[in-house]
Amino acid sequence: MRSKIINMADAMKDAEDLVLEKLLGSEAIADDGFSDRVVKKVRRRLWVRRLTLPIAAAIGLSIAAKPVLSLLESLRGLLETVVPADAAAVPALPSLPLLFGGALLFVAVVAAVQLIED
Amino acid sequence: MTDFHDNDLVARVVASGDTHAFGELIRRHQSQVRNFLRKLARDTELADDLAQDCFLHAWDKLRTYSGRGTFIGWLMKVAYTTFLQSKRKSKRYGEILEEAGHLADAESRSYTEPVDEVTDLDKLLGVLNEEERAVVVMSYACGLSHREISEATDQPVGTIKSLIFRAKEKIRTSFEIEDHKHG
Repeated sequence: MRSKIINMADAMKDAEDLVLEKLLGSEAIADDGFSDRVVKKVRRRLWVRRLTLPIAAAIGLSIAAKPVLSLLESLRGLLETVVPADAAAVPALPSLPLLFGGALLFVAVVAAVQLIED
Repeated sequence: MTDFHDNDLVARVVASGDTHAFGELIRRHQSQVRNFLRKLARDTELADDLAQDCFLHAWDKLRTYSGRGTFIGWLMKVAYTTFLQSKRKSKRYGEILEEAGHLADAESRSYTEPVDEVTDLDKLLGVLNEEERAVVVMSYACGLSHREISEATDQPVGTIKSLIFRAKEKIRTSFEIEDHKHG
């Protein structure tokens, strides 16, 4: 009952409220292409974001390619010292550093993409 | 699309990035947002730029709208934050220019209009502090309920009521003082 009375009191407007409404109130502002302009901007932003990610990843890869290749080279050298020379003749083994490098690259790209998204 | 409730449109935007649904939300609420910002910024062009920024921020933050309050309350919160951030930036810019000795330039970028262009409405809102002005404009110019204003300003409904009460008292007192001065 009490809350009903409070709600009724809220809804009631005194003369001052009406004067303020009249003074401050203005006619509805016509859209005049405003919403279309904002939507266009939103769409442009979406495209920029869609393109930014692959472009950034490509740039990152091109920058990282050289050190990754040299890292793979040194890893190969390391593997050659660890794995016996006759074992290297087995056809399946030479792909091991490549697989390792690929996995490393994949993890780096995923991490970079997540970093960019954040 | 025009038959959809605000929350349904928001759900479509969040779920699939539907720009048509977002466009409909803008069409529905642009008048209130622009009106609010025009009254606060007192500069039509600046207010419309801020309104654009507000809707772009809204697009970015739409996932944070829980759907518990009204959409217009949430949107007004974004608009008010956009206005405050812009004002802070403008102040900082003004201070830098002032330090560099370009005060005149800084004044031309300030939020107040030249003295000869001050309207009765500006005088009326001029007696209020920023918080009171925002609440009064939301209530009387945009027609928001106390609950919606409370959502927009992150303040309890009771505080909104007392802010409006205080603002009305200030306006009453100021205009009585002015009447005495002229009389």
